[in-house]
Amino acid sequence: MQAVLFYALAAALLVSAGLVVASRNIFHAALWLAVALFVVAALYVMLGAYFLAAIQVLIYIGAVVVLAIFVINLTRTVVGAPVTLTRRWVIPAALVSALTACLIAVALAKSGLPGGPAPDTAGVDWTAALGRHLLGDYVIPFELVSVLLLAALIAAIAIVGKDREDEK
Amino acid sequence: MQVTLTHYLVLAALLFCIGIYGAVSRKNAIGILMALELVFNAVNLTFVAAGRFRPAPDAVGQLFALFVIAAAAAESVLGLAIILAIYRRRVVVNADEMDLMKH
Repeated sequence: MQAVLFYALAAALLVSAGLVVASRNIFHAALWLAVALFVVAALYVMLGAYFLAAIQVLIYIGAVVVLAIFVINLTRTVVGAPVTLTRRWVIPAALVSALTACLIAVALAKSGLPGGPAPDTAGVDWTAALGRHLLGDYVIPFELVSVLLLAALIAAIAIVGKDREDEK
Repeated sequence: MQVTLTHYLVLAALLFCIGIYGAVSRKNAIGILMALELVFNAVNLTFVAAGRFRPAPDAVGQLFALFVIAAAAAESVLGLAIILAIYRRRVVVNADEMDLMKH
């Protein structure tokens, strides 16, 4: 049952990810990205990471994809016209991708990772454990991330807001 | 048939390679950023699966994925802001036409 669900999700993920990179229309690619991210959220649920699945839907689909669609609409000249992949770059890109795959395959084969099914963790509350980590031994990275997000926010306003002053 | 750690790692590796292919082959800068989001998700999937399949599972894998999501959000905000600023100035969205720093 679990294996069937996993293979269905894996197939959906690979097809939607393939369409993200292969779609001729950038707007369609953004919508397929939302599908791919949603499937990853479903895989998180399969792994028991319920909080992360919620965060995935809220931040990735709710913020990152919507932001990408906003920027696609603001740079409107390309929405109608299909985004053509240059033929020149397809072969090098495939080559780089295949070499990365070889690298990962070799690393995976040599790693000697545990092969059995997942350990039984029926009674564990992962969200509570995550919260304890965040405000316990990982509190400094947690605070640094909030500083990073604030810096990104200010930088984004500074970069995009500058042009308007020039026009005046 | 049981789903093992290897299943998740192979899936994440395939997703990573698709993302790399997209990041190299796309001309549109927004397309490149979207392909990079796929790469981030592949890495996150690896983190969460590795944390879950350890002999003594803990939440640290999920914790790292959470930090990666925050960094990816900051990255995409800045990337899209830069694309928008260049578009306003030069009306280009293709990465190979963004050559302001060459001259």
